[in-house]
Amino acid sequence: MSSLLSVKGMNINFDTSRGLLEAVRNVDLEIPAGMSVGVVGESGSGKTVMCRAAMGLLQGSNVKRSGKVVFDGRELTAMSKSEVREQFGSGMAMIFQDPMTALNPVRRIGSQVSEGLRVRLGMSKKDALARSKELLELVRIPNAAAVLKLFPFQLSGGMRQRVMIAIAISCSPKLLFADEPTTALDVTVQAQILQLLRELREDLKMSMVLVTHDLGVVAGNTDYVAVMYAGEVVEFAETKKLFADMRMPYTEALLESIPTIDQKSGARLAVIAGRLPDPTDRGAGCSFAPRCKYAQDKCRNEHPELKQDPDGHLYRCWFPIGEAK
Amino acid sequence: MRSYSKPTLLAIGWLGLMLFFALFGWILPFKEWNYVFEDDLEMGLFSSGHILGTDSNGYDLLASIVAGTRMSIFIAVAAVGLGGLIGSVLGIFSAYVRGKVDTVMVTLFNVGLSVPNLVLALALVSVLATNVDINQAVPTWRRVMVLIISLTIILIPILGRIARGATMSWAGREFVTAARSMGMKDIKIITKHIVPNVLPALIAVAFLAVGVVIIAEASLSILGVGIPDGASWGGMIARGRNDLEYAPHTLYVPLFFLALTVISTNHLGDVVRSKLDSREAKV
Amino acid sequence: MAGSGTAHMRNTVDAVLTVRDLTVEFRTGRDKVVRAVSGLSFDVIKGETLAIVGESGCGKTTLARAVLQLPPPNSGEVVFDGTDLTTLPKENLRSARTSMQMIFQDPISSLDPRMTVQQLIDEPLEIWGRGDRAERAERINNLLNNVGLDPELVLNRRSYEFSGGQCQRISIARALALDPRMLICDEPVSALDVSIQAQILNLLQDMKDRFGLTMIFISHDLAVVKAVSNRVIVMYLGKICEVAPPETLYAKPAHHYTKALLDSVPVADPTRQRKATLLQGEPPSPMNPPTGCRFRTRCNAASAMCAEQEPQLREVAPGQFVACHHPIS
Ligand SMILES: Nc1ncnc2c1ncn2[C@@H]1O[C@H](COP(=O)(O)OP(=O)(O)O)[C@@H](O)[C@H]1O
Ligand code: SF4
Ligand code: SF4
Ligand SMILES: [Mg+2]
Repeated sequence: MSSLLSVKGMNINFDTSRGLLEAVRNVDLEIPAGMSVGVVGESGSGKTVMCRAAMGLLQGSNVKRSGKVVFDGRELTAMSKSEVREQFGSGMAMIFQDPMTALNPVRRIGSQVSEGLRVRLGMSKKDALARSKELLELVRIPNAAAVLKLFPFQLSGGMRQRVMIAIAISCSPKLLFADEPTTALDVTVQAQILQLLRELREDLKMSMVLVTHDLGVVAGNTDYVAVMYAGEVVEFAETKKLFADMRMPYTEALLESIPTIDQKSGARLAVIAGRLPDPTDRGAGCSFAPRCKYAQDKCRNEHPELKQDPDGHLYRCWFPIGEAK
Repeated sequence: MRSYSKPTLLAIGWLGLMLFFALFGWILPFKEWNYVFEDDLEMGLFSSGHILGTDSNGYDLLASIVAGTRMSIFIAVAAVGLGGLIGSVLGIFSAYVRGKVDTVMVTLFNVGLSVPNLVLALALVSVLATNVDINQAVPTWRRVMVLIISLTIILIPILGRIARGATMSWAGREFVTAARSMGMKDIKIITKHIVPNVLPALIAVAFLAVGVVIIAEASLSILGVGIPDGASWGGMIARGRNDLEYAPHTLYVPLFFLALTVISTNHLGDVVRSKLDSREAKV
Repeated sequence: MAGSGTAHMRNTVDAVLTVRDLTVEFRTGRDKVVRAVSGLSFDVIKGETLAIVGESGCGKTTLARAVLQLPPPNSGEVVFDGTDLTTLPKENLRSARTSMQMIFQDPISSLDPRMTVQQLIDEPLEIWGRGDRAERAERINNLLNNVGLDPELVLNRRSYEFSGGQCQRISIARALALDPRMLICDEPVSALDVSIQAQILNLLQDMKDRFGLTMIFISHDLAVVKAVSNRVIVMYLGKICEVAPPETLYAKPAHHYTKALLDSVPVADPTRQRKATLLQGEPPSPMNPPTGCRFRTRCNAASAMCAEQEPQLREVAPGQFVACHHPIS
């Protein structure tokens, strides 16, 4: 299967007052065309930086980057800034966690949705507004004509996220980056937005990168999953395989720590003790070793290499689950 | 750790010089600003004895500038200080209490804002600073007082609204509810939690306001209701305006000082503002 | 009385908090009134954790604040430890509030960014003059240790230097400073990563056991309250839909809204994805709620009766009360 986006050997470091912060470390990632790939990990594990870098959106004088990003057969990392910008909208688009800060508070919904249509597709103001209305209907916003005239603060969080999605798909992108699109929302609205994204993906034949901290969200909404920890991809597999045959102790711990409706009431919840390691101080061994219940001496001293099962399941662990220790 | 850009350093330097003129101008070896050099009328820039020249009255322009700085800065700081104090007390209080008090206050602010500044000042000054007996001149100190009061009245709704807006956003934060639920008294909540958080925003605006006031004072002087015959930049501009044709520097010199000062305060206001934004982004 | 009913009230002497017929209104325009909480009643028994669950905007936060009189409700009683807080003079209320403390949803906004952790936790102690400086310092250290933070590392830092989970620990330490009897937690884990949620939930459970607290725990997510609660109230548009112990509620939800909430919780298993139809749309505006059953505009089982008559709470199984004309059986 051909990949739409391919990231090879990506390293992203930031120069900070505390030293070099290694945000993304040696990441390889393939997004197969037409598929949905989940990127899962705790806050601070490098998910957002990785996605922004893949989109060519990472700016700042203190960024140090290396690696190669190929999108739709063209090498993004070799393009000029304006060539990369050409890709936005029709090639790649993005939606964010907080739709309130991503929308301009003082402009009407209509002008914000139609902006891309006018600038990128050269539509007239009238056509763009008419198309905007269709887009709002496409993302199942009731009463779309009236919503065009509203300001963002007049909408609920769920509606704002739908507007963001309408803007993102307005120029028919091939790949949609969704960065924690439902984290700020209620579970009921989350379920609706996820369903909407599933349907849109099918109708528009769009690929998607779904970033989340919740393995529960990934389970029903992705074809592949990449688990990130401390800037690295530590496990990558088809979603079904990942859940059926987890290899990485971190992924297992992440799954066990989710509060579910099946747990016994009054029971203590499983937790991952401790916290993410300091990103300016990457030690020698496995980054997860201080929190891992399977850790052994080797883990603390040697950095585990990426291993691959015959079925393509990738993981970065000396003592993967399901192997004799 | 603290590093400032070149423009910022220049602005600080310039305002430092102005502050020095205002506070310590009197130690400089000048004659009275309105001492008349009868033999040196309308001397150009960099003339011997008069670095910035003299005007058609024979006043030394540098001495006038130094004395004018004292007056202009005094008026600006006093008006912004008073307006800021009263405005923020009203704004913070009404935003914190909300309800009817707030509605009334907002209406008052809006009324104040809807009248064009200059018109309001013009009206206030002409009512307050005229004598019943038109032949008797109004003493300068009284004109200055009236000017400060008028400018203060203009500033109250501007700064008050900003204080109110900032208070609204901070008072809505949950730590204020948390403080209440711990049993903290309202007045303590305001002084401990609201004021320190609102203050930086107010300081940023106060810098901008100083610039606005300096310009307003000059405009009023030109219109003849400020202190046209006094030692202020506005007064100098008002006088120099008449000599534009044969001694243009008498107009340009005070304009130059005024412009640089206003640019500096505006720039520093922006710097404070963006420092604040980056802090708030962290919060 | 409109809709909620009182069949679920236990009327025992063990009740720490009894709320009767509580109504909170907000004026949102000239003569527009939002009734965020509508004649709601419930009680909380000593040592119990009562969970209140519902979508954003259903009135959970308003309810919690009204209990603390921040601001006071428009009508109804809030009896805490035998005293009706709604009739208490301001000064008595100030001290009564200290035995009921609140944990907020947004861990960062609930801490003053200008204050260090030391100052934050000292604040309540200082207001009430609990101990001299040395005693207070000692108490602050104990509190921080209790919530799993190392005093030496955190005392002099400010809230924005911490992660959401750590901020929530600081908030909990601060809330415990005055030895409250009751803790009201308003979505304390909703802003946190799922992997951190369990840590905070366990911590709250530990603190409850250690200090003999009674808790109200608010959430929009039924999965989060399962482990910590003894009794769950499901709320919709300012009213109660269902009240039950968690085992019953999760196994056999009787209200269609409860069922819908359960169905929207993501399942971390690709082979067990629910095919159930989702709850459509968002709750209608509380400005003009639907007649009869407020949930009828989104309910698959709605009948003509649902539009005409407001369902009253009644017991359908031991301890399970539901306000629905056609409960799921
Ligand atoms: N200060 C206020 N003014 C007007 N309406 C409010 C105010 N606070 C809350 N509301 C409204 O009251 C309803 C209940 O809100 P809230 O208690 O915050 O719900 P929840 O906590 O369940 O999300 C919502 O419709 C909300 O918009
Ligand atoms: S390498 Fe060792 S420490 Fe790291 S995840 Fe595997 S078992 Fe755990
Ligand atoms: S069946 Fe009727 S009463 Fe019951 S929840 Fe649905 S609409 Fe309400
Ligand atoms: Mg709430």
